[in-house]
Amino acid sequence: MKKLLSLTLALVMVLSLGAFALADGGTEITYWSMWNEGEPQATVIAEAAEAYEAETGVHVNIEWKGRGVNELLTAALEAGEPIDIIEDDYNRIGNVYAPYTYDLTEMAEAAGYAEHSYPVLTDQVTGWAGCLNSIVEQPQVGGIFYNRDAFETAGVEELPTTWTEFLDVCAKLKDAGIAPLAQDGAYTNFTFYYHLVRYLGEDGIAELRDNGGWADNEKAVQAAQDIIDLVNAGYLVDGAPDEYPSSQNKVGTGEAAMVVCANYVTAEVDAVFGPQNWGLINYPAMDGGASADVVYVGANSLAVTSYSEHAQEAFDFIMFLVTGEYDQKMADTAGQIPADPDNTCAYLPTAVDTLKNTTAPMSWCGSLNTHPAWGDMKTLFTELFEGKYADGAAFCAAMDALY
Amino acid sequence: MSMKKNRALIFFFIAPTVICLLLMYVYPVLRTVAMSFFRVESVTADAGSWTFNGLANYDKIFHNASFITSMKNFLAIWIVGGVITLALSLLIAVILTSKIRFQGFFRAAIYLPNIVSAVALATMWVQYIFNYDYGLLNQLVTFLGFDKVRWLGTDAKLWAMIAAFIYGSIGYYMLIYISGIEGIPTDLYEAATIDGASKARQFFSITLPLLKGIVKTTITFWTINAATFYLWSKLFSPVQTEGSTIVPVIYLYDTVFGGKGVIERDAGAGAAVGVVLTLIIIAVYVITDRLLKSRDLEY
Repeated sequence: MKKLLSLTLALVMVLSLGAFALADGGTEITYWSMWNEGEPQATVIAEAAEAYEAETGVHVNIEWKGRGVNELLTAALEAGEPIDIIEDDYNRIGNVYAPYTYDLTEMAEAAGYAEHSYPVLTDQVTGWAGCLNSIVEQPQVGGIFYNRDAFETAGVEELPTTWTEFLDVCAKLKDAGIAPLAQDGAYTNFTFYYHLVRYLGEDGIAELRDNGGWADNEKAVQAAQDIIDLVNAGYLVDGAPDEYPSSQNKVGTGEAAMVVCANYVTAEVDAVFGPQNWGLINYPAMDGGASADVVYVGANSLAVTSYSEHAQEAFDFIMFLVTGEYDQKMADTAGQIPADPDNTCAYLPTAVDTLKNTTAPMSWCGSLNTHPAWGDMKTLFTELFEGKYADGAAFCAAMDALY
Repeated sequence: MSMKKNRALIFFFIAPTVICLLLMYVYPVLRTVAMSFFRVESVTADAGSWTFNGLANYDKIFHNASFITSMKNFLAIWIVGGVITLALSLLIAVILTSKIRFQGFFRAAIYLPNIVSAVALATMWVQYIFNYDYGLLNQLVTFLGFDKVRWLGTDAKLWAMIAAFIYGSIGYYMLIYISGIEGIPTDLYEAATIDGASKARQFFSITLPLLKGIVKTTITFWTINAATFYLWSKLFSPVQTEGSTIVPVIYLYDTVFGGKGVIERDAGAGAAVGVVLTLIIIAVYVITDRLLKSRDLEY
């Protein structure tokens, strides 16, 4: 028995040493992913890693950290944890993790990255970090997502570009027995912020954030009044503002026609109800308001750590993932917009062009979300959609009371 | 074996535990307290990069509307939730120790929510019971001929969350009370019954006074639960933090790690929140210890 045990242990040792010897022969890069194993994104990444290894011999060791990766990254980067590629929100990588990331400018130029990316997103990255410190993936675009079939049923032929036209579309939809707009409570801040941006621009909102004076600002009062009128006209689907994702799901059931959000709403609804016939409308312009060219854009991104010993290999794998076959696969499998504009977005065909043509990006409530009372402001926004305010002035007075 | 050798052996045996305790518990606590007086961006930043900030972190959080809202929500959870949970669990414990039929079944049924994942439990409440369209409560409301209620609207969301949390907590406190009640000698009740004391009188004159120590423990446990309340708030506001459900630990988390679209981080202010919560728990413990003296009771 003892001999057998000794023999087994010796065998394990020999095999382990052999494995180490083999592993030592090839290059390995470590990638901390923001996805969880089994998610569609993770499946595509794992496939890409296998294909990359088959092509180059570089093994990609993927650690699935999930969306909580941001809780771990700072500590890991500060400690110099052996990571080659990190993945998170591009804003955080461009700002928070920038000191620990590699300047990819030269590698990107050599790889012709400019032709495989959206300038609006790469400009954001270089603006935040001072250099190209990450490669953007899974881009997002915001606006009004609508069900084309519902529009057809209601006889809507022209897409609205102004608020007046938008209200006309709402009236047609309501007449056709379809609730015009779904609205979950979780996104009331985004919808109202978008509406405010159309009146004041993000700089105008930042002024209100810093100095208050909402009730004295005619445009802010009008923006709130518009939402009150929208609610009073019965243009919100029954139950809205509802608990996420109950209201947005009503676009899937056919009860509602539109929802204001970023493009991931389409993937979320499709995951429950199957593929919908989606379209995207730029948030309408306001009479006498700010530029309507401003569009919400967001993304995740991949960066190479500044201390990576295999920066080129890591960069090459990132490019392998965000361009060509695997980028297309990611877009198709996970219901996302491709990171490479040469690829196509089957479920939302106009999204690629929207991103390509956008020059003025809007943040996720960035002019307000640093206000100390941001949490209470969000509650007021939801109350606005609940119809709790008699008029725009009453809402703005409540906003001023938070200062 | 000499006393000296004995001491050395004792030291040798307890040293690993003491070292682990110092490294994993005392050091983080001391570091957090120190951090709360410094300007620190990242929670793991080297102490050399900290900038002394005096009481500015405390000043910041106590002048922050979101923190104040979170403290109000915490108070609602602690007081309203606490009174209802502890009273109901004590009542159920008394009933279940009074030799009723199917005791075992009721104990198991009431304790059941504690063995179900809190995530599943909260999802059931949010997506089914409180659902506006097909939720259990609105089905009941419409059956009775009333209009549907927005249970998770801004006015009601905190209370809805507290109600769900109470449901998930009662079983745990019930078990603590049951173990306390079962520790009371039955001859006390037998004597009281012979003397003609009613069940209510027995409860107020025997059970309750002899449970003082247990009540003190449950109040401390509840305070810790309310102060560290996080998961339920996160599940009732899954996309981003909302004013109606924000609690101090959520505020702490957002302050330390940033939130949706927010990249600013302030680990020093986060540490200050942690210190404030710890002081609250200690204060509650000291006060309840003074008010509910159980040391003079022997049985």
